[in-house]
Amino acid sequence: MATPQIILTSSDGVDVAVERTVAERSVLIKNMLEDLGDSGEAIPIPNVNEAVLRKVIEWCEHHKNDPPSTGEDEDNRRKTTDIEEWDQKFMQVDQEMLFEIILAANYLDIKALLDVGCKTVANMIKGKSPEEIRKTFNIQNDFTPEEEDQIRRENEWAEE
Amino acid sequence: MEADPPPHSSTRPMLRLQATSFSGYSAPSLSPSFKLDEGYSDDTRSQPDKETVSDDAMVLPDWVLSQNEADRAGTFRIGWSRLPSPTANSWPPSTTELAYSLLRSLTTSNLIAVIDRLNPLLHMDPVVKLPPELTFQVFSYLDTQTLLTASLASRSWRSRILDSGIWRVRYINEGWRADMHAIRNFEQEHAEAMSPLTRRARPQHSDPDLGEPKHKKRVLPTWFASRANKDGANGHTPTEADEEGDHHMTDGSDRRGSHSLSVTPSSLPRPPSVLIPPLKSALLLRCPDGTVKVNWLHLYKQRRRLEANWHHGRFTNFQLPHPSHPEEAHRECVYAIQFEGQWLVSGSRDKTVRVWDLETKRLWHRPLVGHSKSVLCLQFDPSPEEDIIISGSSDKSVIIWQFSTGKKIQQIQNAHSDSVLNLKFNHQYLVTCSKDRTVKIWNRQELTPLDESYPRVSNTSGASYPSYIVDLDDIAPSDLETSIANGHIKALRPYTHLMTVEGHGAAVNAMELRGDEIVTASGDRMIKVWNVRSGACLKTLMGHLKGIACVQFDSRRIVSGSNDNTVRIYDHISGAEVACLHGHNNLVRTVQAGFGDPPGADEALRLEAREVELEFIRAQEAGAPVELGPRALRRAGHHVNTAGSRDPRNISAIGAQIPPGGGGSQWARIVSGSYDESLVVWHKERDGAWKVGLRLQQEHALSNASRAGLSETAQATVSAQAQQLQAAHALTALPAGQGPAAAAAAAAATPDQNANDETPPANHAHNNAATNGSPPNAAVNQPPPAQAIAPAAAPQPLGPHMIAHGARRPASLPHSRVFKAQFDSRKIICASVDPRIVGWDFACEDEEILEACPFFQVL
Repeated sequence: MATPQIILTSSDGVDVAVERTVAERSVLIKNMLEDLGDSGEAIPIPNVNEAVLRKVIEWCEHHKNDPPSTGEDEDNRRKTTDIEEWDQKFMQVDQEMLFEIILAANYLDIKALLDVGCKTVANMIKGKSPEEIRKTFNIQNDFTPEEEDQIRRENEWAEE
Repeated sequence: MEADPPPHSSTRPMLRLQATSFSGYSAPSLSPSFKLDEGYSDDTRSQPDKETVSDDAMVLPDWVLSQNEADRAGTFRIGWSRLPSPTANSWPPSTTELAYSLLRSLTTSNLIAVIDRLNPLLHMDPVVKLPPELTFQVFSYLDTQTLLTASLASRSWRSRILDSGIWRVRYINEGWRADMHAIRNFEQEHAEAMSPLTRRARPQHSDPDLGEPKHKKRVLPTWFASRANKDGANGHTPTEADEEGDHHMTDGSDRRGSHSLSVTPSSLPRPPSVLIPPLKSALLLRCPDGTVKVNWLHLYKQRRRLEANWHHGRFTNFQLPHPSHPEEAHRECVYAIQFEGQWLVSGSRDKTVRVWDLETKRLWHRPLVGHSKSVLCLQFDPSPEEDIIISGSSDKSVIIWQFSTGKKIQQIQNAHSDSVLNLKFNHQYLVTCSKDRTVKIWNRQELTPLDESYPRVSNTSGASYPSYIVDLDDIAPSDLETSIANGHIKALRPYTHLMTVEGHGAAVNAMELRGDEIVTASGDRMIKVWNVRSGACLKTLMGHLKGIACVQFDSRRIVSGSNDNTVRIYDHISGAEVACLHGHNNLVRTVQAGFGDPPGADEALRLEAREVELEFIRAQEAGAPVELGPRALRRAGHHVNTAGSRDPRNISAIGAQIPPGGGGSQWARIVSGSYDESLVVWHKERDGAWKVGLRLQQEHALSNASRAGLSETAQATVSAQAQQLQAAHALTALPAGQGPAAAAAAAAATPDQNANDETPPANHAHNNAATNGSPPNAAVNQPPPAQAIAPAAAPQPLGPHMIAHGARRPASLPHSRVFKAQFDSRKIICASVDPRIVGWDFACEDEEILEACPFFQVL
């Protein structure tokens, strides 16, 4: 039952052992293993630190039996920001970790995780006023009040 | 142990994290020497510049010191200098505990101050943290309103959100279609037109080439002084004069008292004084490399504005011919129209086919003469590869014309044994249907039995084949080749009759051809789906209570209009009726639907349908009064909504692959035209049910259109004539609401040889249909001319419309019965009893919409 393990080395130099099938949720790693063969050597993941790497692996473990995605799925995913319950809980992390997961998913080419991450951020924006968005993400308002007014007026076309 | 809360804090239970409301007070710095006033909290972020030491180094000492000074912690005195440096990652858990204990010891207000200062560590800007391609993905999940709201967060958010690519996704996901070919051509044209030199010389966002409204409004370009730099060094930030001579406005912010327009010394870094992208979107985006791209934000926005015009019924009317060239009009009523791009082709009872230029509203070349009776149906393709018009007539023939020259290429005499009621062609086939109850299929290209599109003879299909059609099952492939080689089997010339399909019990009034399938609608109240190559009948759809006059098919749904005054929508796959729309009070003669399916619709529709079904089953299991049939429900006080409601009580069929109403985007639209002299534009409600959005009166449009585009003198003349006509007709007791245009139409619609046509008027036809099986819609194609000559003819049976109107309807000619309507993204064009063709243009002469329209496609 146990599939062979491979070793990933995080950016901060920590070796993390992971089942090959789990690691292959990452298209980057999958391609690398296919191209180079599994030499048994640790694979460096220079852009992802240990904490994030472990988090990403946790996600891959849980989703290791998911069917591969198709183009049609992608169209449908675009339309909804629904996130399945486990993923929602998984994404309950601090913002720094959240953005790091997104960056790691992008770098490692794990589409489904990237989607979940981006949807999580999208959901943090939904239903908020500009001021609430600024608060949520610690954004400085660099518009003048006049500019804000102008932009609001210009955006009225969408209100009909 | 927790410190006692300070007395003040209990009196301020509503204290918020952001203490901006206290900005009037002087905010104390959290330096060790400052004695904290704990009665209110501070907005530490308001004074970041006063911190001379970095936050990280100061955080802990401040807490400790303030606590020591206030001397409340009591139990918690430590020398802060002994603590390790507070870099979170390196702290062991015990350190976290320590920090927590420290924090718990703080007063609420101090805690808030701390949280406030920690805020930047906990909350971070995704636009800063993530590259554009990832924020692109984030934003692509958001709806339009959310995006526009979020664009107000900051300049960098705005510039990421107003990215053309995001709005391309938005546009496509709305289910709108765009003419990508036109867009590419446009981009290329403009890239070539703009050399780098000329590009430099022009203002970036008010390029005259963009076709922005010139005379209307010279929009103040959006040059605004920016607010002050965040470091607070400058009280205000004036702007540089623009080298391109555009207007400037200062910020005018009262807070900073900035009212002078001064010039910033060039040594200062130029502040973000301009909104990028500019406030007003433009159609074209110029890339740094000199290429030009269409701005999807602009397209999206104009499409939204255009859709809003549809929704609110804002339009202008026009007519063919142009009012100043009445001599170009058909002589009698117009039965068939089709338009595409610049061209419209019409067929009339005056036996001619006419080609119109929609830009000038003028006749393009001389009327096409060839039919000996009314032209009832036509299709054309103006593309250079096809360059063709095919028309069908009550003279039983079909004529093939060259579109560009109007030359008659070929005539199929006696294509049917009665009127040719409808026809459709694609590259391979021409399919015709007739009052003789048959459907016939013809080839458009030379054809041998070796070709893919050669008929497949089927003995079970009910199709019959001319003797020259070879049954491929009867002949060995080698023999076939030999026979063709030695000339025993000849190639079929174009427009050879390939097969006759029979199955309808009455006139086949309308048909569609799509892919391998033919959909036909008949006076026998049925819709049938056939395979074009074998003639096999694949399915029969029922539901209409009277003959069917029109049908449309989009591969997922079949939409039909009938003499029972309804429009019905069927699931193409299961054949289930998913909606029945009541909105007309006479025969529905023409219908077109655009569901606006976004990408990936099949799956979404299936899921939606399944959801409705589960809901129904749950209701059933819970013992709710569902599936009792409309009558029982009506008795129980439930008004059954058949227009696509998802209420389980309204569900009449399960197993469909599309939800009630047929699904589609929120912009979905159906336009139906009726003998009640109106068009209805159907919109979808939020719950998916169809509703009458607009009711357009044919005669109003004609009256508007005939005045439009005329000089004032001409308008006065027309309106005087109209008044005279109106006065004249008042004597003959026209029903209320019949305007001058209708009167004019009445005058124009003179009877012809059809006057002695044996077919009874439509109203008679459908009443008789049920019993004698005669084609109920036979009269559809021949307006009741008898009435025109003899207004005192036998009294017509009372139609439901008369009751509905509560008005007596004189036995006079119907003036504006609608025969055919077509819509695209911006307009509806309609043919009726009136010889003039009339249109509703929802672009409403808005220049920005007009500029974007060439790239829009119908839903």
